[in-house]
Amino acid sequence: MKNRTYLIILFSVIGICAALTIAHFVYAVYAYQHSSIIYFIAKELWR
Amino acid sequence: MKTTKQILSILLVIAVFCAFNLSVYQLLTRRLSNNFSGATQAKMIDVGKYLPHEEGSELPKINSSLKLTENLPVLDGAAALVPVYAAVIDNIYPKGCVTYEGGSFSDNNFYGENFAPDSAMQYKNTVRGYQAIVDGTTDILFCAGPSQQQKEYAEEKGVELVYVPIGLEAFVFFVNENNPVDNLTVEQIRKIYAGEYSNWNEVGGANRVINPITRLEGSGSQTTFESFMGDYKTGTKSFLAVTGASIGFSFRYYMDGIVENDAVKMLSLNGVYPSAENIQSRSYPVVAEFYAIYRADNENENIQILIDWLLSDEGQRLIEQTGYVRIN
Repeated sequence: MKNRTYLIILFSVIGICAALTIAHFVYAVYAYQHSSIIYFIAKELWR
Repeated sequence: MKTTKQILSILLVIAVFCAFNLSVYQLLTRRLSNNFSGATQAKMIDVGKYLPHEEGSELPKINSSLKLTENLPVLDGAAALVPVYAAVIDNIYPKGCVTYEGGSFSDNNFYGENFAPDSAMQYKNTVRGYQAIVDGTTDILFCAGPSQQQKEYAEEKGVELVYVPIGLEAFVFFVNENNPVDNLTVEQIRKIYAGEYSNWNEVGGANRVINPITRLEGSGSQTTFESFMGDYKTGTKSFLAVTGASIGFSFRYYMDGIVENDAVKMLSLNGVYPSAENIQSRSYPVVAEFYAIYRADNENENIQILIDWLLSDEGQRLIEQTGYVRIN
């Protein structure tokens, strides 16, 4: 694969993954503000 | 060889993002996914279980000596008190007084309910309920005491509200059932929320960051919490606290009788568990009154009749049977 092609694919993948991660965070922040704290605490991870 | 390395590096980038998002999902997003109604809005109570005059409703029945037939006061209230005022309607009001837009009950919208404007039962919850009682669209509001903002709203509108305590309720703090802490002192909780304690091991628990959770401004529990804090100011917490072990607050019956989630447990305060007996004896340290609230200038004579009945033995028995504690 040519370097130019590789870099285009690499940055495209990073861009898509970063956009999905930001969307995940935006959803999580919105959902956290609107969620029931009882359910939130009920699903806490404890080992 | 070069191409293989390039493909592997791209796959590595994807794997790193996936791992990061999966971690966030496990720690946070997964715990939020079941908290929404079909309309992806907060749903605090399944009102469909507490509809007056409906077969299969979970409302208690008493043989009431009071029956109202006309000039029915419109009742509204907080999520935690829906069983109380719905039971009042069920036992005292005539059939057909609770009506729905479109003819039948639906809970697929904000707060989940479609009570018609002329229905004797409404459900606006605390924040919108206080506005409704001041604006005159509701006659009696069943709620915890008002926040400063709610008092100011009534004053701005020149409305005098009458607050009649009709029952007792414990203000409770709760944690995950696996959290080893079962008891805290009032002072420890205030210090947790003030940010003076940030790890559970400082109060006898596990070595985990404390995530103290507060509620929506103006909600009944948030107003009670602010009063509970006294001179302490709520501190700021690190963003990462959300990944720690949480502590939250609510009213006892909302947790124990309405939500009934076995994966959380209520804490004893100063060694006293929030049982009905300890609330009645007031040995539990944070007992709050809840009120029937109405406008002083409301001329509907049935309001006073209904309030008197709520304070009578019959009314107090009904309050007890809905799971709350009688005031007298």
